[in-house]
Amino acid sequence: MTGTVEHDLRLPLSEADVRALRVGDIVYVSGEIHSTAGIPTHVRMLECLERGEALPFDLRNGALFHLGSYNIEDANGDLQILYMNPTTSTRFNDLMPKLIPALGLRATGGKGGLDARSAQAMKEAGCVYLSFLGGGAPILTDAVKRVTGIGWRDMISHYRLVRIEVERLGPLTVAIDAHGNSVYDDTIKAMQEKRASILAELRADRERS
Amino acid sequence: MPITDAMVRQTAEDLYSWALRKVPDDTKAALARAMEKETKEAAKQTLKLQLRSAELAEQRDKFVCSDSGVPVYFVKIGSAAPLQCDFKTAIRQGYEHLVETIDPPILKHVTNPLTLERGYHGKDMPIVSYDFESGLDYVEMTCSPKALGSGRWAALELFTFPSLEEIETYILDVAIKAGAQHCPPVIMGVGIGGTFDHCASLAKKQTLRPLGTTNPEPTLAAMEERLTRAVNKLGVGPMGTGGDTTVLGVHIDYASGHGFTPVAVCFNCWINRRTRARLYGDGRIERME
Repeated sequence: MTGTVEHDLRLPLSEADVRALRVGDIVYVSGEIHSTAGIPTHVRMLECLERGEALPFDLRNGALFHLGSYNIEDANGDLQILYMNPTTSTRFNDLMPKLIPALGLRATGGKGGLDARSAQAMKEAGCVYLSFLGGGAPILTDAVKRVTGIGWRDMISHYRLVRIEVERLGPLTVAIDAHGNSVYDDTIKAMQEKRASILAELRADRERS
Repeated sequence: MPITDAMVRQTAEDLYSWALRKVPDDTKAALARAMEKETKEAAKQTLKLQLRSAELAEQRDKFVCSDSGVPVYFVKIGSAAPLQCDFKTAIRQGYEHLVETIDPPILKHVTNPLTLERGYHGKDMPIVSYDFESGLDYVEMTCSPKALGSGRWAALELFTFPSLEEIETYILDVAIKAGAQHCPPVIMGVGIGGTFDHCASLAKKQTLRPLGTTNPEPTLAAMEERLTRAVNKLGVGPMGTGGDTTVLGVHIDYASGHGFTPVAVCFNCWINRRTRARLYGDGRIERME
């Protein structure tokens, strides 16, 4: 890929691993990740942390991704992921600024990004946001090696906290880095700046037609 | 011979299942064209990845996305179509059979908005709208499952005697608000005029119009062209990580109304779920896409 920096990351990650990443870099992730697509799951994690209760998994130096997955337990009691794919992360805008430091996350991700409050939390804690391909179920599911744990089975499939061993999950794009750079904030700012000139061009186009 | 319950049931089931596995051909072609034109290398790679995902899902007969959305159907009944069926019941039964038997199984996304409980079933599910068309001897069914990713960014505003400038500014602002979050490049459907409900329906139906088709109304054709250019200038790009391709097409319809003019805007994500079949009196079910 011309002009693009690629990284192969293996979990758990150190702060140095994460600080080395820059917005626009391409990343492949290997090791054990955690996934959920549920707001109730995020609320439950926060409540557990506030009460000092243990979570199903220790996420310190780990990755929590906003992925919806269909997970099943087959006849042998083995866990399987039938498919997984990202969900919109901005739904967790109010929760992630607290969860990133409290869980000790080094990476989070999904699609659509997180707002400036999370970008600030990531800068302080040393964490990155990785953009997944929405509608990428076949590609992303191919990276799954096995399910190593399912937390909170009382919840519906895509709300559970699932621990998954992956091999070269990706390609993922670093969309918010640990230095306060966010492709989402940049785009929002650029859109606001361009709005007047785009409207002027629309006006000129209308007058021509 | 009439069109029967069994045919409608089967079609309702198949259309949903196909919609989860196949990105429409016009959409794949539009993504490929966008990939050629993209000037940002990272955006080009994302478009390539989208096409690869579509190809793999189709080859393996698996889902493109994990979110199967909620069931939404459109039924167009030809005035000369011989009918002996209860559409409402047959479509519901087809959907119910699908959720019990589909492989792989689908996630529970049907949500009760009052309790936030999720399952496969719920009030008014599946959502079906009916239309009639003179002269046709068949029934055409379309399925367009809708999920949160692109569904939540739809918007409608009521204006009074708006200028085209006000209308186009609003459409651009809805695109700005959706930003990076609706799995771009998207298809935008726009309705102008009519009443609140009719306008929303016009916008929705425009998302089902094949890409590359020209609007028969010259004013709207020109508006579609300039708004496509305008939205792409926003720089949101594929998956919102920057690029020249944010929208594959802006499709607009209008209706006469009073001086209060609703403008509705809605989106389909890049996988552009849309399947269609025709049912004939001789028992044939023809898959259109």
